Amino acid sequence: MPGEPLKKQDTPKLLAQVEEDIWVIIPAYNEENIIGDVLKELFSRGLKLVIIDDGSTDRTYEIARAIVKDNPGRGYLYHHPINRGLGATLKTGIEACLAKGADIMVTFDADGQHNPDDILPVSQPIIEGQADVVIGVRDFDDMPRVKKISNQLMNIITWIFYGAHVQDSQSGLRAFNRKAAIALDVVSREYGISSEIIREIKHKELRMEEVPIETIYTEYALAKGTNLKVGIKILVKMIRDVLK
Amino acid sequence: MAMMLYQYIGLVIGIVGIVYTFMRFRENKMSLGMLFLWNIVWIVLIVLSIFPEATVYFANLTGIGRGLDVILILGLIGCYYLIFRIYNMIENIEQEITHIAREIALQRENADLDEKEDEED
Repeated sequence: MPGEPLKKQDTPKLLAQVEEDIWVIIPAYNEENIIGDVLKELFSRGLKLVIIDDGSTDRTYEIARAIVKDNPGRGYLYHHPINRGLGATLKTGIEACLAKGADIMVTFDADGQHNPDDILPVSQPIIEGQADVVIGVRDFDDMPRVKKISNQLMNIITWIFYGAHVQDSQSGLRAFNRKAAIALDVVSREYGISSEIIREIKHKELRMEEVPIETIYTEYALAKGTNLKVGIKILVKMIRDVLK
Repeated sequence: MAMMLYQYIGLVIGIVGIVYTFMRFRENKMSLGMLFLWNIVWIVLIVLSIFPEATVYFANLTGIGRGLDVILILGLIGCYYLIFRIYNMIENIEQEITHIAREIALQRENADLDEKEDEED
């Protein structure tokens, strides 16, 4: 899609064409309350979905399976037999997308915190060939205080350890082109994956863009994601990576 | 020369250690390398229990005042080393488990889709 930038208000036809080429990777762990709505919404936009259930102990997998079944040929469901963490789950998703020949991949959290309208703006620099990786930047001022501070801390830590300064190192909404997806060499199994991706962008000299995104803070989403405990774990992991 | 109580304890622990190590090895639960390593540890323990004066030699050699201190320091270093090894081992196992879990997931793409849905909704 050269030239004209793609906007949400572009003709539905064009939008549909582009969205068909976007593969959305959805890592899910115990999201039975919300994953149904998230998947239905994304399917309704004609996107292709790669859903990875990370060994959920609730009905996440069953719910996802029923919805994938209702959308034949557009959804691919994977299931880790045991919980292995966000990092491992994203890796499975990226590998699955690459095997399907995907050129544009977007990671999208299953907890309903992302606005599906942001998928296109985040993919746009990839579609236009201006970037290899796009990070969706959340508005930190919208965040509850504790979250804001821990995310700022994670940015600083990512900067210190990996030498890469980004506006939102822990964002769950990102887009990759095929080249970037292949280049990513990450080992983190847990939430540390987010910082590791930033490191890889720098090390592999991938072209990165940052696009502002909306975050929907429900009570539900707030209870998940990067909290202080996870932050400390990521920090320990980074120190080890440096010492390795 | 009468042996002190700690010497008997050291001796017994050493012997039990050797027996246990060999049993583990026979059950294929220990590699040959680990068998050697552990037996060296146990033999050193037995020798030092019988001849505690030997530690004085090491103490003089290393410049650490007393024989017992040498043993304690060496023991601590040994423990740290083992913890480090175990830590790395667990990390490797975790990575292998992750690899297997991911591989299974990828191979079973949309696997249960045709199965009868159990009481969905």
